Formats: sequence, C-alpha cells, structure tokens
Amino acid sequence: MSPPGAPDLAAAAAAPGIAVAAAPDLPDIFPPVVRRRGLRGVVARHPAAAIGVAILLLMLLAALLAPVLFTVDPTALAPSRRTRLPSAQYWFGTDMLGRDIYSRVIYGARVSLVVGFSVAALASAIGLAIGLVSGFVRVLDGIVMRVMDGLMSIPPILLAVALMALTRGSVGNVVAAITIAEIPRVARLVRGVVLSLREQPYVDGAVASGSTVPAIIWRHILPNTLAPLSVQATYICASAMITEAILSFIGAGTPPTTPSWGNIMAEGRALWQVKPTIVFFPALFLSLTVLAVNLVGDGLRDALDPRMAKRL
Amino acid sequence: MLAYAGRRVLATIPVMAVVALFVFSLLYIAPGDPAAIIAGDQATPDDIARIRATLGLDRPFLVRFGEWSWRILQGDLGTSIFTALPVTALIRQRIEPTLSLMVVTLILSVGVAVPLGVAAAWKAGTLVDRLVMTLAVLGFSVPVFVISYLLAYVFALELEWLPVQGYTPIASGLWPWFRNLILPSIALGSVYVALIARITRATMLEVLAQDYIKTAAAKGVGSRGLLFVHALKNAAVPIVTVIGLGIALLIGGAVVTESVFVIPGLGRLTVDAILRRDYPVIQGVVLLFSFCYVLVNLGIDLTYMLLDPRIRY
Amino acid sequence: MDRRSLLKGMAGAGALAASGGLSAPALAQGAAARTLRFVPQANLANFDPIWGTQYVVRNAAALVWDTLYGVDDTLTPRRQMVESETVSDDGLTWTFRLREGLRFHDGEPVRAQDVVASLARWSARDPMGLMLRALQNELAPVDDRSFRWVLKKPFPKMLLALAKNNAPCSFIMPERIARTDPFKQITEYVGSGPMRFARDEWVPGARAVFTKFADYAPRQEPASWLAGGKRMLVDRIEWIVMPDPASASAALQNGEIDWWENPISDLVPLLKKNRNLSVDIADPLGNIGSFRMNTLYPPFDNPKVRRAVLMAMSQEDYMRAIVGDDDALWKPLPGYFTPGTPLYNEEGGEVFTPGGNLAAAKRLLAESGYKGEPVTCIVAQDQPITKAQGDVTADLLKRLGMTVDFVATDWGTTGSRRASKAAPKDGGWNMFHTWHAGADCLNPAPYTAIRANGEKAWFGWPDSPPVEEAIGAWFEATTPDQEKAAMRRLNKAALDYVVYAPTGFFLGYQAWRKAVSGIVKGPLPFFWGVSKSA
Repeated sequence: MSPPGAPDLAAAAAAPGIAVAAAPDLPDIFPPVVRRRGLRGVVARHPAAAIGVAILLLMLLAALLAPVLFTVDPTALAPSRRTRLPSAQYWFGTDMLGRDIYSRVIYGARVSLVVGFSVAALASAIGLAIGLVSGFVRVLDGIVMRVMDGLMSIPPILLAVALMALTRGSVGNVVAAITIAEIPRVARLVRGVVLSLREQPYVDGAVASGSTVPAIIWRHILPNTLAPLSVQATYICASAMITEAILSFIGAGTPPTTPSWGNIMAEGRALWQVKPTIVFFPALFLSLTVLAVNLVGDGLRDALDPRMAKRL
Repeated sequence: MLAYAGRRVLATIPVMAVVALFVFSLLYIAPGDPAAIIAGDQATPDDIARIRATLGLDRPFLVRFGEWSWRILQGDLGTSIFTALPVTALIRQRIEPTLSLMVVTLILSVGVAVPLGVAAAWKAGTLVDRLVMTLAVLGFSVPVFVISYLLAYVFALELEWLPVQGYTPIASGLWPWFRNLILPSIALGSVYVALIARITRATMLEVLAQDYIKTAAAKGVGSRGLLFVHALKNAAVPIVTVIGLGIALLIGGAVVTESVFVIPGLGRLTVDAILRRDYPVIQGVVLLFSFCYVLVNLGIDLTYMLLDPRIRY
Repeated sequence: MDRRSLLKGMAGAGALAASGGLSAPALAQGAAARTLRFVPQANLANFDPIWGTQYVVRNAAALVWDTLYGVDDTLTPRRQMVESETVSDDGLTWTFRLREGLRFHDGEPVRAQDVVASLARWSARDPMGLMLRALQNELAPVDDRSFRWVLKKPFPKMLLALAKNNAPCSFIMPERIARTDPFKQITEYVGSGPMRFARDEWVPGARAVFTKFADYAPRQEPASWLAGGKRMLVDRIEWIVMPDPASASAALQNGEIDWWENPISDLVPLLKKNRNLSVDIADPLGNIGSFRMNTLYPPFDNPKVRRAVLMAMSQEDYMRAIVGDDDALWKPLPGYFTPGTPLYNEEGGEVFTPGGNLAAAKRLLAESGYKGEPVTCIVAQDQPITKAQGDVTADLLKRLGMTVDFVATDWGTTGSRRASKAAPKDGGWNMFHTWHAGADCLNPAPYTAIRANGEKAWFGWPDSPPVEEAIGAWFEATTPDQEKAAMRRLNKAALDYVVYAPTGFFLGYQAWRKAVSGIVKGPLPFFWGVSKSA
C-alpha cells in the first residue's frame, strides 16, 4: 500500500481481501489464459494507455538524449545569476544557486525513470522469488509470510525514510529502500496466485504425472503470474517515482549533487511563493510521467484482465 | 467463528514481533550519533564521548533489545534522548492532531469517493465515468506536497478563506478545529479518494454483473436506484477492505502534509526524530503506527465476520 | 473569539483579521493581544541550557533564567542579579552580593547556595567556566546573599564570563536542580527570569510556551540586551516551530504569527511588500560562514593544500548562495573576527582575492604534491546555510582539480561524523561546513573554533603553536592595545595555518507584524520591552 502510485489497487481490484496483514487469503481467481490482441487493436481500444506510452517514450528519449537537448551542465553554479525567471536563455529559469532548471529537469528524468523502473523490476523479481518459495515450500510459508506481514504493517514511507536515515543518499540506496518497502506486496500477490493455481486440476495433473517443480513453475505458474505481476509492477513504478520525490522532499532522498525532480522541488519549495517556477517545472514533469505510467498500468490491467475489460 | 476470531487475534502477535525486531535492529546499525548532536555545535569530542556513555548507547545489541522489548510490553516506550520526556508523553501530545487529521480525511474522502465511484459505475462508459476516472488517475499522479502547496496558495494566500498552517485543539471549538483541517485533509485525501473511487467503481460493476442482480433487473424488481443500493451493500466488503488498507497511505501522507501545514502531529515527530536519530522516539512511533494499522485491519476483519455470516474461513 | 475572523472564514469575506483570533479562539480579544507568537530559528528539542548548547536553547533559556551579569548592546558586562562585587587587590578573591527580592518561579528566594551550585554546574561545561575551574581554589557561599570565588591566578575576564551571551550562559537555577550532573539533562524547569516555562504545553518539535512570572523583580535601568530591567509587556509567548520557510512566510503574512526570527532572504522582498509587516536585520553582529578541513589526513594534512583552497575561494559565491541577491547582507571576511567589533583585523588577509585566484591556487596545489586523494566533504542538507556552502565548495574543489566525495547528510549525522578521528574512508571526514554567530567571534574566550591546540582543538584538530601563543597573549592582556596586538598576530597565524576557512560575513533578517513594537537587534531575540497592540 504505497503512497500515490497505488500498487494495491491492482491487487485489491483483482483479488479483494488480499494483503490484509495476517489475514487468511481469500481465493484468488485469475483467469488462466491471457487474451491475445494485436497492438493496433489495443491502442484503438485503449487510447489513454496509448497516450501514456507516448509520454513515457518522450520522457525516455529526453533522459537518454539529455546532453544534446540544448542543455548545459546541470550542476554548474553561478550564484550571480540566481533565481532568474524563465527566459530565452534559461527556458525554465534558474534556481537558488544559479543552475539552469531546464537542464536539471531534463537530466532529472534519468533519476526518476531509473528509480521507477529499477524498483519495479527489483521488487517484482525478489517478490516473485519470495512468493514462489512461499507458495511451494510450505514449511517456509508461515515464517516468510509473517515477516512479510510485519514489513507490510510498517507504512512504506516511514519504512523508506527509516532506511534512508541509515545510509547516505544515493540513487542506489533510494532504490533499495523503496524496493524493500514494496517487496511484501508483490510476494503476497504471487503467493496468492500460486496457491490458487495449485488447486487447479491441470496443475494437479502435472504434479501427478511427475513434472518437476521448476517445470511446473515454468509451464503453468509463470505464464499466469506475469499478467497480474506486470500490472502490479507498473503501479510500483509510479509509486516509486513519487516516493523518491517525497524522500527528497523531506531531505532523505537522492544526493543533491544529482539533479532529480524531487531534489529540484525540495530545493525550490522554500521559494514557492516568490519563484513558483522552480517547483512548477519538475512537479509538472513528475506528475506527467507518473500519470503516463499509471495510464499504461490501467491499460495493461484492462488488456490482461478480461473480467474488468469487458465492462469498459 | 469464535475460534477464527481467536486465531485472527493471535496472528497479529508474530506480526508485531517481526515489526519490533525489524525496527530495533534497523536503528542499531544507524551511523548517526545522538550524543554529538545533543552536545551542540561547540562541543568537544570529550563532551560527546561522555554524553554517549550517560545515554547507554555503548551497551551490546541483545541487552538493549531485551530490555527494550520488556519495557514495551509494560507500556513504557522509553525516554526521548533529545527532550528527556517519556516517549509516551510525546506521543500523547502529538496524537490528537494526527488522529483529527486522519479521521477528518477518512470521513471526507469516503464521503466523496464512494458516491463518485458509484456514479461512475452507474454511468459507466459515459462522460461522468471518464471524468471521475480521470480525476482518480490524477489523484494518483500528483504528489501530495504539490497539491498541498497549490491549495495553500489558492485558498489561504490568495482568497484568504482558510488558515495557511497550524492546528487548533478540538477543545477550542468544533469550527476552529475543523477550519484548520480542511486544506490538509483535502491534500492528504486526494490519493485516498482516487483509490476508493476506483475500487468502488470496479466492485460495483462486478456485483452488477452478477446473475442475481441481472435476474432481479430482468424481472423488474424495484428501480435502478434500488438495485444500486443492493449492489453497494454487496460491494461493501472489498470497499471497506481497501479503506482499511488505505490507512497506510494516510499515515505515509501525513508525514508530508503535517510538515507543509505545520501540524504538530506524529508524522512530523517521526521525521524530526529520524533526522535527529532520537532512537526511542523512532522506535515508539513506528511501532505505534504499525500497531494501529494492524489493529484497524483486524477490526475490519472481525466486523465482516459479525456483519456478514456468509463469510466463512 | 474574534467574530470577524469567524465571519471571514465562513463567508470567505476578504476582511483582514486584525488580531490573533485565528489560532487562539478561546481567548478574549485582549488576551490574544497579550500573547506573542514567535517562530524561532529551530526546534526547542531539549531545554537544559547547560547540557545543550544550541543557540535556540540559549535563547529560550534567557527568558526563563536570569544571570548574575548580562552584556548590554555595547557588549559590556552589567550587573543583573548581582547588587555589587568586590575583588581583592591581588585579583584572587572575588566576592559577590545578590540583589534583594530575587525569587525563583516556585516562590523560593534566590540564595547564594543556589548561585554557587549553578556556577559549579555551568563551569563544568563552558570553555571560560573550565578556565575558571582550573584556577579555582574555592567557590562558596558567605551568607544567604553573598558568595566568594577564590582563584589561584587572577582572571581578568571574570565579569565577561558571567555576563556573556555565548552558550552556555551561566544561568541561575535552584540548588536542587543545579546539582544535576552537568552531562545529564535537568528535568525540572524552575527559573529565575521574567517568564515561566509552561512545561505542560511544551510539544518538542512543534511549540513551547512561556507565561509571565509576576514576582520577577526587574532592575530599574532600561533594558539593553541581557542587561537592565527585563520588563515583560505580554503575558504569554508562544514559540511555534516551522521548519519550512514557505509556511512561516505564509503564516506571518496571514497574521497567524507575530514575529519570525530568521526569514530566508529570498522571501524578504515579499514580506517587505506587505504593509502589515516590518523587516529588519536581526543581529548586527551577523554570522561567519565556515568550512573546516581535517588536518589529520591527506590531502588537508598539508598546509599548502589548505592554503590553495583558501586562495581559490570566491567568498562572493558563498555569500550569494547563502543570502541571495541583496549585497547589503554580506561582506568579504579576510579573517576570523566579527567585522565592526574592536578586535576585528585583516592581518594576513591578502590570501583572499575577489572571485578567488584559481590559477595561483592550482600552482600551489601542484607544488603541494596533491595526488588526487578524494576529499570526503560532509554537507548537512537540512540547514540552508550548510547546504548552500556545501554546493559551492563541491563546485570549487571540482574546478580546482580535486576529487570530491560529496556526502550529503543531515545536521545530526554531521555532528557525529565530524567528531570521528578515523580516516575518511573509515567513517571519518576531510571537510565539513558550519557557521558561527558573530557574537561568538568577538574574541578568543568563547571562540572554540579558532583554537589550534591539536587533540583538544575543535573538529579538524588544527595544531599551531603560533595560534595558541596569540590566544594566550590575549587572555593575559590587560590593555586594549595589548589585546589588539595579540589579535592581529592570531588572525595572521590562523590564516597561515588555515585553522578553518571563513567563507564570509553575512547578516540575517527578522520580520514581524506591525502590531508588535519594541523589537531590537541583537545576537538573540530579546522579548522584554516587546508589546503587541490588538
């Protein structure tokens, strides 16, 4: 249940009752088949998701091509030209130390995207592993799930802030802190899928016919886990971007030498009344990017979960 | 049923134990040294070493964890290193604003979000639906501090309708109390509203698609509105579950909201304590928040059991 | 409650609320006018002015506890709780007599025993107190109202030690409280000053409340800083902690607070535009920005490297980063003492040039044999002053061709890490940023940061006999000329060795509602004589 990105929405929408700390799991009913559709069909049916993908691609391009997008050194100080308003020379103005905000925002896309994608990937991978172990190795299930429940009952922002207080600010540590806070939710989701699939006759059959556990995982579990997992991962990505900004905002995020949207906002927040542009541009980029990821997530959910899609 | 309730209550104990161990060991390896901060900017290294010794920070991990757990069980959360006040006293001072903020946010959000979600489901596929869903996605996407500053700028500084900051105890009157909570609640509630509105819509659609509702509709039982009332009742369990889970969102968001609106609550206490490495306070507050979260969700689970005898575990 | 503010809130009418009805609705109109709401520079996290030496603790304590002497606005020690003092011809025996009618907040009279216990606790923690303690033969009450301090050697700075505004001040507490171990916090706040500390209403991190002590006996002289009659014109002072300058600025404009101790200078133009607000320099003694280099480890164990950094610095960059675009707020500082005070001098200051001399610095760095060792630079991000300086330093070292390992952290971690004598890679450090109140940099007595006595010196552990010799000469000086000569030697020796790098001298603002009057400039906020109209 991470702040703004709402990863639990997917879980909650798909499997009501999941993830309550220490609660027994309600049966998770995921359709065993993913409906395949042509790309063009998906785009036509999900214009919002298409917009999301487009924005996201633009942000990715900006991040990759930052040095050639008319930027200057985003860390170059010039206290004599500080807090300028946007102009032909400084498109988004300058900050308290005279650094060019446009360049910082463009380079900042790198941090947000790296944090968002890394957390999504890491939390999914580790959560998947823990969920699989928990779902298959019944001896470990109890203890692993108690640990997950314990972690989950610490509000994620508090957990991330506490973890960040232990280490020095770096993109890697931010990724690690947010990932730890997100893992339990993924693990629970995966475990729920595994447990419900194990009840299915064809999995039973595979077990009876002597298939090995890795084979069962590969052939039956993974294909059916990937759909809900990828939806969850998208929401985690969005959530992680916002959490990174919040961490920086309260002074426990990425190092200030790295321009990130959260840092730019944190530095400009004291001046929001006099120089709102310092906060405005990174806020706009962050909101747009998170919005795009959320739209993609919604599109994925609709496309992968026919039960919901039917009614849209 | 009672057996289930008992098991459910017992199950919270290992969870809390995990939280306790985790929180305690986290802070044990913290690099910060409270002694140095306490001693002040002009202190010499000797001062710092002596203060560290008087604080008991030089004793081994297991000894401190054992003592700490024992005291917690007796309801003693220790003494704040910085203020020399008992942590329970600090929490008591700070709990009213946070509780007020949470309760007002909860009521406002549910009051707004459920009707929005129902409306979206009712008019599924129409402009209303799209509008509500767009707002919901925006609610997820705009960081809470951006919303906070936006609200403060418009409603407090430009229009001068509401105070910019602060908290008035409820003892000073209901309206002054509420006035100070309006903006922070809206800011804090935005994500929550988005979450609840979406889940309400989704569950409503799901219930409406169930056979018995379809049958009832086909037979012309009651008005469309009445059908929705029935559907909402049946959709209540997942909605309430999400409301319970969302408490964690509120707790996380409160940390930011309380900072922006200068509300002397637990969220700010926690951030201040973490930045200052006031170990007992961090431990006490994180433990308390987790405990509340577990308790709320336990309460919700037990309520289902009483309200809806169809649920069997 | 203020009906107008209620109407305003309900109807959204644009009328300006004239009084504090917004945040104190239960109080009558008159009571609101007698409550002063103040935003301090930092949170009052603990309240033992001997145990904790943060400026904010000292400032609050000055309301609650009185001192034997106090400095006036010329920094001259004046009698405060003391009625008279005598010193023997050999300068070894001081006898002090207390004023009549002094009372603690619990109603008990202030006795010589209380004073002796308070001074004993204070002298265990204060740098000047420690010097006194080293010279002390006896500190004892003579009778209820007088006490005696017998020394082994004359200590000409006695009255300054008892009057100084530098933390820790020698606040007078009841004997039972003053008997607390100086390294443990007191738990009872029975004061001797003009305001009581409302412990029930204290919410560390959020607010602290002080209420008027009716039985306080002020002196007859007019108040001047820590001296004279401390007459309270308000009944209640609320300190409201606002870590976010934007919130404080908004609250001041909205009339939710009355007085803000340290508005950031970028917001000052906005505050000046508001007809209801006054804005002025807070403390004419200002502040000295600083970063310290660890002399125990490479590269800063080499004085040439330290000098190269000093040469390359542009104090203007540092100052603009701290105070913004207002040139009236800063001065270059080719030395270590507060500009405009008697001991200020620029001896040896030619190492600084406007904009810095990067070419010469690079030559010196090359000559020093710097081999690209990384510089672990610790920067606290939660203090605007250290954060701004750290960003500038990182840029400076990069341009100078040094390798920077930038450690962004908070003030708390800085506080612990800077005390570590370990190698930078093992949790130590090469460089950290801080600042000193100008009031602490008038002379070497309270100025721990200027000491260069190696192991015993402040963080960075500079070791320079010439610096220490000059400091000793000042303590023994008996005429102003001798003092000045010693200080010129000190300034030069400290710059040659680079005890620390001064980044410049800067002033800060304070801002208040026009309804408040009587606010004076000084090294701390003085609440006596401050009144508020409805």
